Amino acid sequence: MKRFNYYKPRSLDEAWELKEKIPDALFIAGGTDILVGIKNGELYPPALISLRSIPELNSIKINGGAHIGALTTISDLIHHPALYNIYPVLVEAAKRLGSVQIRNVATIGGNLCNCSPCADMALPLLVLDAKVRLQTAKKNREIPIDEFFKGPGETNLTPNEILTGIVLESPRKSAKAIFLKKGRVRMDLAIASLAALMEMEGEKCQKARLAAGSVAPVPLRLFKVEAQLEGTTITDKLVAEAQQLAAESVAPITDIRATKEYRRQIVSVLVKRALKNILGWSQA
Amino acid sequence: MKKEISFTLNGSEVTVTIDEHLCLIDILRGPLGQTGTNEGCREGECGACTVIVDGQAVNSCLYPAFEVEGKNVITIEGLQEPNNKLSVFQQAFVDHGAIQCGFCTPGMIMSAKALLDTNQNPTEDEIRDALLGNLCRCTGYVQIVEAVKQAAVQLKNKK
Ligand SMILES: Cc1cc2nc3c(=O)[nH]c(=O)nc-3n(C[C@H](O)[C@H](O)[C@H](O)COP(=O)(O)OP(=O)(O)OC[C@H]3O[C@@H](n4cnc5c(N)ncnc54)[C@H](O)[C@@H]3O)c2cc1C
Ligand code: FES
Ligand code: FES
Repeated sequence: MKRFNYYKPRSLDEAWELKEKIPDALFIAGGTDILVGIKNGELYPPALISLRSIPELNSIKINGGAHIGALTTISDLIHHPALYNIYPVLVEAAKRLGSVQIRNVATIGGNLCNCSPCADMALPLLVLDAKVRLQTAKKNREIPIDEFFKGPGETNLTPNEILTGIVLESPRKSAKAIFLKKGRVRMDLAIASLAALMEMEGEKCQKARLAAGSVAPVPLRLFKVEAQLEGTTITDKLVAEAQQLAAESVAPITDIRATKEYRRQIVSVLVKRALKNILGWSQA
Repeated sequence: MKKEISFTLNGSEVTVTIDEHLCLIDILRGPLGQTGTNEGCREGECGACTVIVDGQAVNSCLYPAFEVEGKNVITIEGLQEPNNKLSVFQQAFVDHGAIQCGFCTPGMIMSAKALLDTNQNPTEDEIRDALLGNLCRCTGYVQIVEAVKQAAVQLKNKK
């Protein structure tokens, strides 16, 4: 393994200063993606700049909505006393990421910045209309999360930018959401995964959000399916049409985990299960 | 570059000079000579390298050594009982045939300990979830889950 220097800045300013000085350095959060990349010889940075000792990145604030610091570990999301009641779908997804050992160090920000098509935390955040806060020493911006993912491993981050946090509004009382993940075994990256959220008013769907993982170059919002569901009374026939539309909207590949045909099929099944579960027609 | 770090290892303060790019497992097995922690995959999949850092089970193969500065690390060596007596975990693993080649065992036990330290009455599902990141190529897991159940009961009775 190639050698690198390891820096532990205590503040964001110090982190940006280091990054200016060593432009090829990479930020490290939990390290569960980046260290694997370095060990496999895919990455060879001259230095790592650790974000773990920057206190302001490490908190969860609940205030009507929520602000989740980028360095919050997956385990911290699961064990937070209030988060599950407000955003159950986020915590359900967290529980399905990796193993205890991975969850204890892997961060929510690292999961998004790594920008894998299978990133489990991306899906609940997409259906919750989350925003991500991106900061450099000079600039501070907030963008909708579906604009953050550009391609496999490629985000909207500029080179010196740090993802500092995730901003969530508080969901409507009528909103119900679910996260489903199909893997070969329980601890594995998804063959396909889906998060769905619907706000119902009586029989009518006021708002629909669907996002699918491992079936496109990025974690993918299924805009067409959402548009088809919103404003309608949901019937069995409509669910079947949504399944069809979802399968047509994704662009999966064949790899060691599954073929593209199988992935398309699974997305369709996950859409059916998710919608029926939210509507209370069946258990997922 | 080399740097000096200090942390608590199995209850004793240690100071060691490390290369900055190393992971915790490299310094445990290298300069610190603690070879109970095993290295299987080096990339977070197998759990053979599991240790407890500040109360949490982590893969020491993916834990930058530099990040343990000031922290409290427990490895399998830290579970040793005086006078060569078997610890609760060792006895439970022997009783249930939960050890064959033994390569996965230190990691299994550290994952189980991290669970039982925070949850005295785990359900079978909770035990299985806690051990999800630990692979065993020999036993088939049933014996290991049974051993952890026995350890849970005995540790509770000891308190
Ligand atoms: C055994 C194993 C199992 C896994 N299982 C799953 C799984 O089931 N589901 C899943 O989604 N993932 C899984 N992963 C992948 C990984 O654990 C997650 O993606 C994790 O959330 C990454 O977070 P991290 O903090 O470890 O990221 P790091 O490795 O520290 O960083 C990842 C990338 O993001 C950049 N980065 C990190 N934080 C920031 C920030 N705040 N601002 C700017 N850039 C940043 C880094 O430079 C790096 O490029 C698994 C990994 C392993 C090793
Ligand atoms: S050696 Fe660390 S998880 Fe396999
Ligand atoms: S006893 Fe051999 S790997 Fe578990």
